[in-house]
Amino acid sequence: MLKINDLHARVAQNDIIKGLNLEINAGEVHAIMGPNGAGKSTLSYSLAGRDNYEVTSGTATLDGKDLLDLEVEERAAAGLFLAFQYPVEIAGVSNMEFMKAAVDAQRAARDQEALSSSEFLKRAKAACKQVNLPLNFLKRGVNEGFSGGEKKRNEIMQMILLEPKISILDESDSGLDIDALKIVAEGINSQRDGERSFLVITHYQRLLDYIKPDFVHVLAEGKIVKSGGPELALELESQGYAWLESYDRTAQDGEQ
Amino acid sequence: MSSWLAQAIDSAEKIEDWLSPKRAISLAKLKETPWPGRKTEAWKYTPINAIERAQLSEKTGTAAKASEIDNLNSIDLVFVDGLFSEEASTSELPEGLTISSLQHAQSWALESFNQTKPSKHFFGLVNDVLATQGCIIDVAANTTIEQPIRITNSFSEGAQAHTRAIVRIGESSKLTVIEQLEGDLASLNTFFAEYQISEKAHLEHYRLALQSGKALSVGGCHFNLNQASTLDSSLIGYGSQLSRVDMDVIHSAEHSNAKLNVIYLLDGKELFDLHSAIEHTKPNGVSEQNVRCIAADRANAIFNGRIHIHRDAQKILAQMNNRNLLMSPNAQINTKPELEIYADDVRCAHGATIAEIDEEAMFYLQSRGVSRSEAQIMLSFAFINELVDQMKNDAVAQWLRPMLRERFAQMEIR
Repeated sequence: MLKINDLHARVAQNDIIKGLNLEINAGEVHAIMGPNGAGKSTLSYSLAGRDNYEVTSGTATLDGKDLLDLEVEERAAAGLFLAFQYPVEIAGVSNMEFMKAAVDAQRAARDQEALSSSEFLKRAKAACKQVNLPLNFLKRGVNEGFSGGEKKRNEIMQMILLEPKISILDESDSGLDIDALKIVAEGINSQRDGERSFLVITHYQRLLDYIKPDFVHVLAEGKIVKSGGPELALELESQGYAWLESYDRTAQDGEQ
Repeated sequence: MSSWLAQAIDSAEKIEDWLSPKRAISLAKLKETPWPGRKTEAWKYTPINAIERAQLSEKTGTAAKASEIDNLNSIDLVFVDGLFSEEASTSELPEGLTISSLQHAQSWALESFNQTKPSKHFFGLVNDVLATQGCIIDVAANTTIEQPIRITNSFSEGAQAHTRAIVRIGESSKLTVIEQLEGDLASLNTFFAEYQISEKAHLEHYRLALQSGKALSVGGCHFNLNQASTLDSSLIGYGSQLSRVDMDVIHSAEHSNAKLNVIYLLDGKELFDLHSAIEHTKPNGVSEQNVRCIAADRANAIFNGRIHIHRDAQKILAQMNNRNLLMSPNAQINTKPELEIYADDVRCAHGATIAEIDEEAMFYLQSRGVSRSEAQIMLSFAFINELVDQMKNDAVAQWLRPMLRERFAQMEIR
């Protein structure tokens, strides 16, 4: 499904992603863990197509389609979803208006029939309910005055409504208490159907207690330095990221 | 002298009623005041010669009344061509609320007349001497009037109308007033409203200046805030051949709070001009003014916002924020924030900017599949819709939103 090959990306003239390879098949859940500054957010923004995140070489395809060649909204229509680490507040645009426009645009791009207003409303209400957001949040400005946890749950609500093929969850667990964390995790788990895939980016192992990944990767210095099964997350949790430094040193020593 | 003004003065001299003592003062002042032109500071960007050219006459009230606002359940005071329409208005009033015609003398209203509206407004003086129609609204102390009062004004072709509202809200009382002006035909009106907001009282106020096209509209609303009273006002301006609103907020006691939101939505060759003045004469007051303007095509938006903090009016919190979105290279926005501060312990901020699309918000919308062009429309409309969202009255907000959206969409097409 998602294939990333030798990806290099830079932000403001700084090379951050330096040759990243990753393949996620349909139905799989992958977790990327790594210390601050490893390039976790750069990876997600580069894939989503944010301005100033420049891919200098390498490829990223979704079901064979070259993602890097597409506009931001075309990537979304192709089935890519990014749950933001810091969701944006937009006063004056209601959640409802936003999501209706998004669903309409994506369905149109895929030649699917538009949803009627009542059908959309039904789905939006169900999605809100699932992540425990009061229905009046649909009428409020996008993330306007939402708490940190509500913003994260709103991201999951959007994911449920948009039904993407691959969801990148950028630190969806940060700043959440245990109850909110469970709601977010349950929201994600409810979308696992053997077809749709997930890339869970996190600093801590905690979220992975609730979302069982098939694979865990360690990102450091812009590369995946280690991959393994779920047990790797536990290993990281007990050892911290300090061992990466020695790993880096060994690698550099080896190069010299 | 302008021939229109000469005629107006002539008509004014024939009026004799309970307001005559007040009218005489204004008439004397009016006779001394030169006809406003390009060199008059308050009228620098707003030409009024169209008044001179207009074919106007006294009308008998043949225009359709202003549109209904769904689910508002208001107490309506309907004026057509400046004449009160008793049959279209609400006659049953809740306890604690008294409404009478401007034609019936009231001693407190005589005293209140021109108490709040400064004499510097040229067309305010015109209204002083010519307004024989209007309403006097009085809310008793400790009374919350749940039903909003809606004063509507509509005009037929060639009509000339001068109406006045004098409003007093008693101590610890609450009132909502909606002033609604509609019509795009060539007509001239001056509609001025004066509000006395007593101690701890609250006024929720809307001026829906929705006249467009050839309408000539010069009016104002003026508020006097007493101890710990509050004002929450929203002004919507569509703009027309000539649309001008003068607004004064006078904090005449401590701990009063005023919030003023203003939306301009101008298209074609429309002009809308707001001159507002906020006077803090006593300490511990709060003012917040948000002015958002979208101007398209060859429209002309004028905003002159003054905040005046008097000597010894310490601990004032005053904010003025003016953001503008120009949608065409030929649209004009003339904005002039003025802060005049004579106290030394105040927090005052103002800003006037040409708004730009927030790229972070743009990326967020696009990342969900919304195209850049559609996201641009959403964000531009959001710019004014944010102030509609802040309106306390849901019915007004829900009535306005699709209308503003429609008007905005029309602007996009060009």
